[in-house]
Amino acid sequence: MTMTPSSFRPAARVAGSELAVTAMIALLLIGLLPLLHATGQISTFTLSLWGKYLCYALLAISVNLLWGYTGLLSLGQALFFALGGYMHGMYLMRMIGDLGQYHKPIPDFLVFLGWTKLPAFWEPFASFPFAFAMVFLVPGLIAYVFGYLAFRSRIRGVYFSILTQALTYAASILFFRNNLLLGGNNGFTDFKFILGHSLVDRGAGPATMRGLYLVTAVTLLLVYVLCRWLNGTKFGLVQQAIRDGENRVLFSGYATTHYKLFVFVLAACIAALGGALFVPQAGIINPEEMKAQNSLEAVVWVAVGGRGTLVGPILGALCINLLKSWASRAYPDLWLIILGGLFILVVLFLPGGLVSLPARLAPLWRKRAADPAAVTKS
Amino acid sequence: MPHPLLAVEDVSKSYDGFKAISNLNFYLFDGELRTVIGPNGAGKSTFFDLITGRAQPDKGRIEFGSSPTDSHDLTTLNEYEINRLGIGRKFQTPSVYVEHTVWDNLVLSLKGPRGVFASLFKRLSSTERDRLDELLKLIRLDAKRHWKAGLLAHGEKQWLEIGMLLAQEPKVLLVDEPAAGMTDEETRRTGELLISLAGRHSLVVVEHDMTFVRQIARDSQVTVLHQGTVLCEGKFDEVQSNPKVREVYLGRGKHGTR
Amino acid sequence: MMNRIARRLRLLALLSWLGAAALAFAAEAPRQTIVRAILVEDDAEKRALIGTLAGQGDDAIRTLLIAWRSDALFVYAAPDGAKIPVQLTGEKDDKDAQAALRVDNGQALQDAAGRPLRLVGGDLKAVEHDSNLRRAMKAVLDLIDLVAPDPARRIQAIQTIALAQDLSKLPLLQARQKDETDPRARRALREAIALIELKDPKSETRLAALAELKELHTLSSSDFLKRALKEATDQADRPAIAAATAALQAVDLHRSAVDFFGTLFRGVSTGSILLVGALGLAITFGLMRVINMAHGEMIAVGAYTTYVVQNVFGAGVTLPCFGLNLHLSGMNLEGAAYQWYFVAAVPCSFLAAACAGILLERTVIQFLYRRPLESLLATWGVSLVMQQLLKLMFGSNNVQVGSPVYLSGNWTVNDVLLGWNRVFVIGFGGVIVLGMWLVLTKTPLGLLIRAVMQNRGMAACMGVRTTRVNLLTFGLGSGLAGLAGAFLSQIGNVGPTLGQNYIIDSFMVVVVGGVGSIVGTVLSAFAIGGVDQVLQQYLPAWAPGLSWVPGIGSFLQNLAQDAAVFGKIMVLGAIILFLQWKPSGLFSTRSRSLDE
Repeated sequence: MTMTPSSFRPAARVAGSELAVTAMIALLLIGLLPLLHATGQISTFTLSLWGKYLCYALLAISVNLLWGYTGLLSLGQALFFALGGYMHGMYLMRMIGDLGQYHKPIPDFLVFLGWTKLPAFWEPFASFPFAFAMVFLVPGLIAYVFGYLAFRSRIRGVYFSILTQALTYAASILFFRNNLLLGGNNGFTDFKFILGHSLVDRGAGPATMRGLYLVTAVTLLLVYVLCRWLNGTKFGLVQQAIRDGENRVLFSGYATTHYKLFVFVLAACIAALGGALFVPQAGIINPEEMKAQNSLEAVVWVAVGGRGTLVGPILGALCINLLKSWASRAYPDLWLIILGGLFILVVLFLPGGLVSLPARLAPLWRKRAADPAAVTKS
Repeated sequence: MPHPLLAVEDVSKSYDGFKAISNLNFYLFDGELRTVIGPNGAGKSTFFDLITGRAQPDKGRIEFGSSPTDSHDLTTLNEYEINRLGIGRKFQTPSVYVEHTVWDNLVLSLKGPRGVFASLFKRLSSTERDRLDELLKLIRLDAKRHWKAGLLAHGEKQWLEIGMLLAQEPKVLLVDEPAAGMTDEETRRTGELLISLAGRHSLVVVEHDMTFVRQIARDSQVTVLHQGTVLCEGKFDEVQSNPKVREVYLGRGKHGTR
Repeated sequence: MMNRIARRLRLLALLSWLGAAALAFAAEAPRQTIVRAILVEDDAEKRALIGTLAGQGDDAIRTLLIAWRSDALFVYAAPDGAKIPVQLTGEKDDKDAQAALRVDNGQALQDAAGRPLRLVGGDLKAVEHDSNLRRAMKAVLDLIDLVAPDPARRIQAIQTIALAQDLSKLPLLQARQKDETDPRARRALREAIALIELKDPKSETRLAALAELKELHTLSSSDFLKRALKEATDQADRPAIAAATAALQAVDLHRSAVDFFGTLFRGVSTGSILLVGALGLAITFGLMRVINMAHGEMIAVGAYTTYVVQNVFGAGVTLPCFGLNLHLSGMNLEGAAYQWYFVAAVPCSFLAAACAGILLERTVIQFLYRRPLESLLATWGVSLVMQQLLKLMFGSNNVQVGSPVYLSGNWTVNDVLLGWNRVFVIGFGGVIVLGMWLVLTKTPLGLLIRAVMQNRGMAACMGVRTTRVNLLTFGLGSGLAGLAGAFLSQIGNVGPTLGQNYIIDSFMVVVVGGVGSIVGTVLSAFAIGGVDQVLQQYLPAWAPGLSWVPGIGSFLQNLAQDAAVFGKIMVLGAIILFLQWKPSGLFSTRSRSLDE
């Protein structure tokens, strides 16, 4: 076998079949679903539901980037997801204008809290570019500061998980307070417009929703491509080397702190992007979205899909959320038991997740085909 | 007297009251191959930890540099900064990236910029490829370059780690028990390799296996560590006949206590 | 033989009748006065009769006067023509009739046959009252508690009188001062007299009162002093201003001392709560390196066990239990026997949680030693399952766990409020730490635990049955969580998600303390508890100091008013900064062998 000059890793080269599968899924998600919606085969509700799943897939990718590829189990990704959502939500709230229930030029909850004029930090969020920049800057900055402190003092493994969970917890109790001036436990809702397009159910609403769905699906594809590229660079090598033996990397002259910090901030930005796309499609953002439990749920998606693989997290996020939608309606009492049980089983018996299933089943299949050559090559 | 490349002066280190290193003095000169022997618990691993920044000494001075003007205080630097100065370390238990291929293990170790952004846009030049091929031949893993490192035999992992060390092109190599887990033939070849590296690099080799020590020490200096301090220093034969050394180490009637 | 017993019984009956009669005689006077006041026609005489009751400490006076004022006294004309004043009480039945008590002796009114009579208010002549009479009654009622046998009620009466600052009450209070023996009541009297004297027209008296208040420096006098200061300022009365200011300063000083000691106490008790929650974790996480995210649910198991035990001691309970509506019949214990339920609940909680822990260890955790991240994830799955199971078993709403009497009162020591349950948790924490220390250092099991935790492989080689030690250690850690649950059921709500409230705090305590160090866990629990309470106490006072922050100063001020939340966040920030300084916690047990 010879090296192709462009790639560091023969193992990371795109296998033809995987590319085909990915392309097919992408085509289905980007092409078919909007088409079905445009022709009235599926409702706007269903399309938005899928849109939300794709946002969750972005969250799962961010978890996987950290946990699957760098060995950092962050339980704070839901926080970054929600922060991205809040930043975008602030823009959407400003776009309501005076169409709220109180017909005042400031968001309803501020009127309710006795404000007559907009607090200073709300002012610039009327600008979409500003809000868009904040979607990345605020979570990115928090990730940078927290990550810098955590990695500098060599907080690793479960300690990192526990601290990120505590961070998320602290943030969520903060966001529940009205004094934060971000809507308290009701959060933001009743959005009317995005970039001049209507978000309400009537009129142009469905078309806007289709647009949002398309943007989400394309974003997911782009993030997937980004991860695929990252995985093939020397950075990807270092990243996974940190996962498997951080000391060796350190003694090879790499400042692992910088690498981990870069991945942590990048993952925070991806999660935030997911959150920002989530808000207009879900129509609401509130502190429930940043509960520590949501971070763990995202970890379940990755574990079930297959950690340390590119498609795994997307597959996991879609499968589990479809299952959740069905089970929480069909067996509302049992859903948590199903989720918890599934997780225990995957951790104990299928560490590679769904993606590893074909490879695991293959030997059984091959044995039947009685092909001795297959055994030698692992 | 020439300037020592690595100077360890009056260094002490204790863990929870246990003195792992006490008032150690050690000088390594350019191109030297130094063998360090000592019974278990003599402080050999701690000694390496202190030089490579994994542990900080309680007191003392560790300086590295080819001349008095180009001297670095290693006690204030961390692991990767020390590595970038040109000090490479091979661990006692082979420490390679088990999920990476042999090739990737070497790529990661190859001398060059170590920054985040440099690594994002890094491309291997043809010189670098040639260098990697050359190293693969040297460590006899040419045929297994696409194997996952985790699948290699123990001895092969040792070789791979030595290869990774060489890829960094360090000035000083700290080698911890390179022959552990190797066959006699492999051990002999390891010794030859280390000897061939002396001159271009400076080496400190910690070893238990006396046959191996005799092979690589030849007429260079051997340092005997005992209870965290230097018991004696000299040629292998001198050391071996030293009554103090015989008492604490060889006097147990064994050749090597693996 | 039988005869003798019968004679004795007769004697006994006679004696008890005599006793009852003597009691009735003692209570006769005020009741008779009231009967006369009811029956007499002249209003002035009525008032005079009522006035004679002042200063007497009979409970009947209060009951009857209140009944009079609220139109519950009637005059019943007996068949023989006698007028009998009665009090109608109790629920009205379907004929609007109520039970009737005779005013003269408090016994039920009986007909000729000796059966209790039930009367309808509308058929009887109501006992009238006008505003003058009501005022006379109030004067009596206000003073009646001054001589109540219970000092707490006396003190309350004194304070009520003081609040009105009525100079006319002064002689009465001064008279009381001679008879009062309870030190706290005496102090209250001094305060009340001084407070009333603030209204005295003579300035010397007022100054003396201010000096007295300064000496007493009670928290309750603060508002009065402020008012006095304001009046003095209005009148430009220099000496009064100085005296009032000095008195206020003394009160403020006392207040800050009370705040300080109160904060200290709450800090220690919060620390104990954290400690109780974290100790189990210190074993499973600290010693075994197993991240048990279901630890919180072990706490919940303990709390629910307490709930079940309480109900078994009491009236029984019907549990939803997967829709089966399982009924647990209770033992219907009452009084002291019932109060013992908590003592029984403590070991039950330990056992229940320990069993759950052992089950968890066997089914899940034993496969995950040395894989901490995986154990974290799998046990989170377990925690979800357990939460849902608890929900299905006990319902998704919080359940009520009553506190036994010995945990529901409080002491006030020099104005510092000490809740019994909080005092108890401090002692409880101490006992558990001591017990754990004894188990770990003095028992063979402790030796084995420490051996296995330090070097699993070596211990196995030495013939230690590591699987059994693992099992017991995990059971011990979970059992401790159960104990925590038993206790926390006395402090907060018991619901299926109870554990979630404590799990993050508990992990923080263990991480800050240094994983594997019990001493560290204890210290860090108190440190975190202390910092948390200090922030909660003083943050609102410090909040104005945040105004310097450019742009968001007022926003931060606002936020800092939410002391509980902001304090928690600051504690987390402090923990992260602390870990910069000591990454492996207060007491690092990291040895070289663990490092790799």
